[in-house]
Amino acid sequence: MTDPVRRKPDTTYANEDPPRLAGWLLRHVLPGGEAGDTIRGDVLEEWRHRRTKNANTATRWYWRQAISLAVRYAWRGRSGVRVVSDPGVSTRRRYMLAIDNLTQDVRYAVRSYLKAPSFAIAILATLALGIGASTAIFSMVNGILLRPLPLPDPDRLVFASEINTKNQPISTSVPNYFDWKARARSFETLALSNDSPQTLTGLDQARRIRARRITANFFRAIGVRPALGRDLTDDDDRANAAPAVIITDGFWKSALGGDPSIVGRLVTLNQVAYTIVGVMPPGFEYLRPYDAFISMAPIAGSRNVLSRGNHNGFAAVGRLKPGFSVEDARRELTAIAAQLESEYPATNTGIGVVTARLADRLVTTVRTTLLALFGAVGCLLLIACVNVASLLVARGAARQHELAVRAALGGGRLRLMRQLLVDSTMISAAGGLLGVLCAIWLLRLLVAAAPEGTPRISHVSIDGAALLFASAAAAVCGLVFGAFPAFQAAGTQGQQALVRGRSAGFAARSHHVRRALIVVETALAIVLLVGAGLMIRTVQELIGVDTGFRADHVLTTRFALSGTQWTEERRQAFYPEFLQRIRAIPGVTNAAFTMSLPIDGSQWNSIFIVADKPTPQRSQLPSAAFTPVSAGFFETMGIRLLRGRVFGDADAPTSPATIVINETLAKALWPGEDAVGKHLKQGWPEDKNTWREVVGVVADVKFNGLANDTPLQVYLPLTQESSTALIVAARTAVDPMSIVPTLEAAARDVNKDMPLFQTATMDQVLETSIAQQRLSLIVMVTFAVVALTLASLGLYGVIAHAVTERTHEIGVRMALGADARHVLGLMIRQGLTTTAIGVAIGVAGAVALSRWIQDLLFGVTPTDPATFAAVVTMLMAVALVACYVPAWRATRVDPTMALRSE
Amino acid sequence: MAVYLGEFEQLLLLTVLRLGADAFGTDIARELDQRAGRSVSRGALYTSLDRLEDKGLVRWKSASGTPARNGLPRRVYTVTPAGVAALRESRDTLQRMWRGLEHLLKDPTS
Repeated sequence: MTDPVRRKPDTTYANEDPPRLAGWLLRHVLPGGEAGDTIRGDVLEEWRHRRTKNANTATRWYWRQAISLAVRYAWRGRSGVRVVSDPGVSTRRRYMLAIDNLTQDVRYAVRSYLKAPSFAIAILATLALGIGASTAIFSMVNGILLRPLPLPDPDRLVFASEINTKNQPISTSVPNYFDWKARARSFETLALSNDSPQTLTGLDQARRIRARRITANFFRAIGVRPALGRDLTDDDDRANAAPAVIITDGFWKSALGGDPSIVGRLVTLNQVAYTIVGVMPPGFEYLRPYDAFISMAPIAGSRNVLSRGNHNGFAAVGRLKPGFSVEDARRELTAIAAQLESEYPATNTGIGVVTARLADRLVTTVRTTLLALFGAVGCLLLIACVNVASLLVARGAARQHELAVRAALGGGRLRLMRQLLVDSTMISAAGGLLGVLCAIWLLRLLVAAAPEGTPRISHVSIDGAALLFASAAAAVCGLVFGAFPAFQAAGTQGQQALVRGRSAGFAARSHHVRRALIVVETALAIVLLVGAGLMIRTVQELIGVDTGFRADHVLTTRFALSGTQWTEERRQAFYPEFLQRIRAIPGVTNAAFTMSLPIDGSQWNSIFIVADKPTPQRSQLPSAAFTPVSAGFFETMGIRLLRGRVFGDADAPTSPATIVINETLAKALWPGEDAVGKHLKQGWPEDKNTWREVVGVVADVKFNGLANDTPLQVYLPLTQESSTALIVAARTAVDPMSIVPTLEAAARDVNKDMPLFQTATMDQVLETSIAQQRLSLIVMVTFAVVALTLASLGLYGVIAHAVTERTHEIGVRMALGADARHVLGLMIRQGLTTTAIGVAIGVAGAVALSRWIQDLLFGVTPTDPATFAAVVTMLMAVALVACYVPAWRATRVDPTMALRSE
Repeated sequence: MAVYLGEFEQLLLLTVLRLGADAFGTDIARELDQRAGRSVSRGALYTSLDRLEDKGLVRWKSASGTPARNGLPRRVYTVTPAGVAALRESRDTLQRMWRGLEHLLKDPTS
């Protein structure tokens, strides 16, 4: 079977030789013996033949073949030991050999770690801490910020509400919503809802439930249908419709026993009978956990809801039509708001619209905190990586001699590299595993420490994504940083290292690498320390704020009088009776009612005018927080009276209208004058509200949180301006929480359908208000301490190593008369120079990064010089100590010993 | 279950069979180029042949070299009975798969 095309081997040009370098490459990569020789022969023969046609193309061809052979055979190993043509055996053998090598590597790695347990523990602890902390924070970020809302197509859900000229959210007026709904084209469905907690009565004990009032199209907008019963229909929005409620699965099971025939049953909420028409599917959640969603019918006809100037806490949620963006919706609603402004100038002047993706809206409050923490944890993870790298480099240096011996005895370079990679992969896998355990534990702490009301906190857990993150972190730590010593090993020149021993060339190189790592570590530590320092200052400033009241020994709780039977007269009769009961409780020294609590935020804000000053234009009218309070409020809260009097028996429902104002309002409206005796009216200038006389001026109270400015504040007597939902404040001589049972019994006694809710001490209210800052503080300080510890340990190691390296040199110096101080200075200078470089880089980094946490800060700028100075001083001091100890040991070197050791 | 043959492996085995007693490395490459239009790098060629050898489908013995190759030895390949069986199996499989689809092979211009 001879083919005519085939050519007999050519014998001309037999003396020519191929490119020497390519020839050399082939000799080195191809297997030894006949297997390699035959291939080289073939390529050579072909090259010589090709040369007869074109010498240049032939040489290029030769190079291409050499490279292709090199690439292919490099990965097959060059052992040259091949079992020739033994079917089915050689692959298996090679596979067995690889497994054998791997087992060997693993066994070797385990043995070497067991031989140096402190080293293994140091690496494992570093990895566990770094991976654990970052995985825990990642789980928070993932669960709260990244995971999509558990609603269909959540990216098409848009939140919309109204804002005033100062960009403050004022919630949506219902008539404005009707106009949005009628005119907007970007939405498939636009629904309205508000938080509307209800008192559930008729069961064994009255209880407060978490409810949301919704327009009938609400569930259509968010795209979820009840699992049982029916959804609301547009008829349910009508004022004359029967009130309907759709309950959640959790509420159905916990409060109503999961009764399958629940649909159609009546429940009493705020003294109104609602028909249960549906039950939502298990796991359904809208922004926060709820018990029930109630229809608009009971309030649809109310004048309060239907007046355009009233903003009753409603917000809109819409589902975008396909092809429309959030930006389209924003533009459209803004245009509609402008139309409404010109159509209804009396109520809509200066009213704007704010829109956002629903998912973003939910997490605006915690986004900054979480991202700041994620940044901090990223720094910590990097520090951990750097530390592991530094430890492995040190180990690599120590193993240099061993590796040199193995290389000299014929250990292949790839084989050595692979062994080192197995080594670092194993330790990082173990570190990752410990890290996950650490993360589970840390996350439990974090969730417990998270501020109350943190959205979606219940969704935070170590899930698949978190495990993936942990594995990735472990892999990066292990492989990238384990590769350091592996590459060093690759550079091993067997003979050279053997001849030059342990201390020369390579060790110097590894020392440089370690110093560079220390610089990185110091810089990262500075960044974290600055973050921690700024948070410490912030919390200090917040705690130092003069709140204007005494928070200790005050219990607060809430109640609501619901139902039409609570007329103004009956309320006015009820309040003194209930207050009397509270004051009679043993341990209570004073008590009062108020509509809003200091720090917690004002519930009622309104524009106003004063009698003796010119009235500004509509958009310039001043706005104040209006708070009805009972007699005894100022005494109970410990708010100082500056001028005039506080409320008392004189302020009866029928007596002339009076108010007490705060200092800020007095100074803003009547600077240099006595405010007492002046008159003020709430609402628009043309409103028919009563003029009220200022009877007293009290000290400023931080009503809207510690970090916010004191608002202009008006207190009204509860007797003249009552409310159905009130807060009890009771000053006690005993532990405030200890009177809760008696207080609850008293409340049941006066009105069995009036559950108390949101019971907390005033100290707790204060704590909650700064919980985000406090959480950031705790995490940042913890991280900073860890970072500082790791950095100083690293520095200690490097200096100690340098001292060992230079024992001989120091011996010579001291033998020649250098004194201990000089040697000490020499070693410390080396350490501090390294630190100083890291500090400089770190300060630059911190200046660049700290503005990211600006929103978390209070009373301190992101580049606060005092904080930076303190941080740098502290780090340098720690570095000095870390250097001093090993440097001092250098001075103990006995010159004769050092010289003899060579 | 027979050994699965890749397309290039089939080509290699067929080439060795075609060359008969003269299946030297250089000639395999040339035959592949001229008959199958496959220009293949020496790295791909020899590692593929090694793989076939590992699977027991080809074997080689060395023959003495010529001056044109500085006396370096040559490989002479032969297909083992297992190799022939594997080729047959591949061909049968393909034919089974084509059965009933022959109309697709018709030249649309005819």
